[in-house]
Amino acid sequence: MAAPVTGKVVYDQEGVFIHSSCGKLEDQDSLIPGTLRVVEKDMEVIVDWRPLEETLDSSNILCAVKDSSSVVEWNQSPKERNNGGPEHQNSYEAEWDMINAVSFKKRQFTNGGVQSPINIQSKWSFLFSLTDLKSIKQNKEGMGWSYFVFCLKDDVILPALHFHQGGSELLLECLEKYVVLCESEQDSRILLVDCQNRSLSQSFENLHEEPTDSLLQKFKKDPYTATMVNFSKVTNFLVDTIRGTDPLTHRRPPQEIADFLNDAMPDLKINQQEESGFEVITRIDVGTRPEVHRREPVSTAEWESNMDSLGRIRNVDHLKHIIFKGGLCHALRKEAWKYLLGYFPWDSTREERSQLQKRKADEYFRMKLQWKSVSEEQEKRNSRLRDYRSLIEKDVNRTDRTNKFYEGQDNPGLILLHDILMTYCMYDFDLGYVQGMSDLLSPVLYVMENEVDAFWCFVSYMDEMHQNFEEQMQGMKTQLVQLSTLLRLLDSSFCSYLESQDSGYLYFCFRWLLIRFKREFSFHDILRVWEVMWTDLPCQNFHLLICCAILESEKKKIMDGGFGFNEILKHINELSMKLDVNDVLCKAEAISLQMMKCKDLPPAVCEVLGLTDNTSAPACDLAEDYVVRKHYQNSTPPNNPVPALPPNGTRGNSSLKRLPNSVHTPTSAW
Amino acid sequence: MASKSSLLKVILLGDGGVGKSSLMNRYVTNKFDTQLFHTIGVEFLNKELEVDNHMVTMQIWDTAGQERFRSLRTPFYRGSDCCLLTFSVDDLQSFQNLTNWKKEFIYYADVKDPESFPFVVLGNKVDISERQVSTEEAHGWCRDSGNHPYFETSAKDATNVAAAFEEAVRRVLAIEDRSDQLIHNDTVHLHRKPKSSSSCC
Repeated sequence: MAAPVTGKVVYDQEGVFIHSSCGKLEDQDSLIPGTLRVVEKDMEVIVDWRPLEETLDSSNILCAVKDSSSVVEWNQSPKERNNGGPEHQNSYEAEWDMINAVSFKKRQFTNGGVQSPINIQSKWSFLFSLTDLKSIKQNKEGMGWSYFVFCLKDDVILPALHFHQGGSELLLECLEKYVVLCESEQDSRILLVDCQNRSLSQSFENLHEEPTDSLLQKFKKDPYTATMVNFSKVTNFLVDTIRGTDPLTHRRPPQEIADFLNDAMPDLKINQQEESGFEVITRIDVGTRPEVHRREPVSTAEWESNMDSLGRIRNVDHLKHIIFKGGLCHALRKEAWKYLLGYFPWDSTREERSQLQKRKADEYFRMKLQWKSVSEEQEKRNSRLRDYRSLIEKDVNRTDRTNKFYEGQDNPGLILLHDILMTYCMYDFDLGYVQGMSDLLSPVLYVMENEVDAFWCFVSYMDEMHQNFEEQMQGMKTQLVQLSTLLRLLDSSFCSYLESQDSGYLYFCFRWLLIRFKREFSFHDILRVWEVMWTDLPCQNFHLLICCAILESEKKKIMDGGFGFNEILKHINELSMKLDVNDVLCKAEAISLQMMKCKDLPPAVCEVLGLTDNTSAPACDLAEDYVVRKHYQNSTPPNNPVPALPPNGTRGNSSLKRLPNSVHTPTSAW
Repeated sequence: MASKSSLLKVILLGDGGVGKSSLMNRYVTNKFDTQLFHTIGVEFLNKELEVDNHMVTMQIWDTAGQERFRSLRTPFYRGSDCCLLTFSVDDLQSFQNLTNWKKEFIYYADVKDPESFPFVVLGNKVDISERQVSTEEAHGWCRDSGNHPYFETSAKDATNVAAAFEEAVRRVLAIEDRSDQLIHNDTVHLHRKPKSSSSCC
């Protein structure tokens, strides 16, 4: 019966309530009154809360289990349990165990199974050992009573306890006899145990909103999504409870916005459906992260030493590697970017390039003439051209205006920016001009200082970025899903937190991805970031690892601060111009090395990064497609095509062994 | 109750380049940046103010105006208390598009009663002398579209900017007062009361 913890009761307080939303089911009263006790037993100190009625039936008492990373609570009535039998229940447990997401396990009690009307309430019972306590969150003043939220070391967050009859201060005094409590630097409402400045992470429990059976069915079909969706549901509930008094975060349910973003971008469900099975969910040890240093930028002398007498670049892999590691000195950019962007074939001779430029200049001016020769009358009947022109004119005046090349009135840079964007509309009228494109062009034009070269380099860059700007913005959707795949591997607890804040679809990274960090770094730094990305090293989608690197650096602030949907968006937006380019690049490279060393990378992650292991087929559609797009500018296929990724053994770095064995060449698609 | 701060969500809509971000920045930071970038994605700023003895935190949302970004912009319309329809007096097209912006807002914000929803209309850039939209035309549209208050603003020289935002707050509070007199229903209340026992979770 009741199985109260026996031992010395050092604190005993009645009138400690849990405010439950379960009430909406049948019972309108959503307050569950209970008693909180602190008990010294053997060498342990136990904190125990149970509802008043608990003395009648404790069969559903829950306790946090050690070694668990997050929490699942079953909402299983005793009746169902009897029907299902004990094996049934055990198999449920086993399934949940496989996802490393266990927590509230039911204790076995001899008198279990008695149908009781207080079942809904009694499921809230909990107890934990004080050694498992990580932090306590207190409410702000002014609520009329205090409430505490206990967070355990395995990031289990227990339901808020509301001290309607007082006694919260006494509890703190009592606990302070056993542990040291100190205020979190980030949030004075959070008391950390033992001054471990660890975050109050918000992973969580409870599937009480859904009947167990249907949930389990979902789980069997798609354990991953079922789990995450329900986690986030419950986390929302608790987070709302925790923040009940904060009008800035509470009033507007961001869930709604998130739902609508999901509707707007249907591919952005919490995770890809094909990732069923247990593999994804199981935590993978990605190993230690190597220390990474960057080198000095590639000098003109180094570049020229890799050019033969006809002006062909030799040792392309080596050159790309040193560009990846250090970038380019500024004087070299005007030439080297043309290769990196695929305007010049690496193996072209001086003569071939000069011919190419001539051809491309003709082609450019033919297209430029097209829009230049549209009369006002014609334009009146061409609303799309009119709209493109109008927006280009506005945006040119709002792009990098602090840069010398574009500052002031009537700066020639502004006219060039305008003309190239207008000509691009003629080059690709279906796409036309979409906001963000001026951001991509501006640095390219700045470096090229030449209208024709800048145009064709921009065309190449746009080939890569095209999908971002299309009507359905497929590129954005794909990248956000890919980013979420990577982030989940690197830091599933952060992912869960973001999901709990309806931010799991990573909308706040939208600007980063749309224009490749153009607004996040200073003009000078973005030149470096882009040339590093354009090497296509050390793996596919390196820019997503840059996202991971930045997010990892911000994780603590976001989680410790308990940032909600709006605050996360604001925080990420405000990182603009505050990022250190070298830190970010080093960290992103280190993550790539870490991942390439990892033996158990999930297939989805390998696919995103273009990594294949020796056993599976090396062909990767994405990589192939990418190479083809990079080269299709050139009117003739190169005789000696450049590999998209360096073949094995080009570098002595064993960590690169996961790179594909076979080299993808554009010829395969010609 | 007046001492309690309410959160008010206000959204700026209008064609690209009419000055939405500049209006927001002028109002919140009292600065005008001629070198401002066009907005990519969605941003917001908070501003605390007192209107008629009500402390209010205004959360001002600013979005990218291009049609292409509609699907990423519209989810943020939900939960808005007021919509600031913005055009530029030197851009006739942006004025003509106000009707579309209003429709888009009503549709995606899921406004229950569009007739009474507070819209405020801002004709920005009045510092520019070459106007394409006259004050009378703008007043006419506002009158015919549901008697929306109209402000001619300049984010550049700060003309009428605060007045327009404060009017937005007044409109919301006025509606709130009206609904307060009705029987309690499921409308969202502006004045957050201390937690009662009815709901918390």
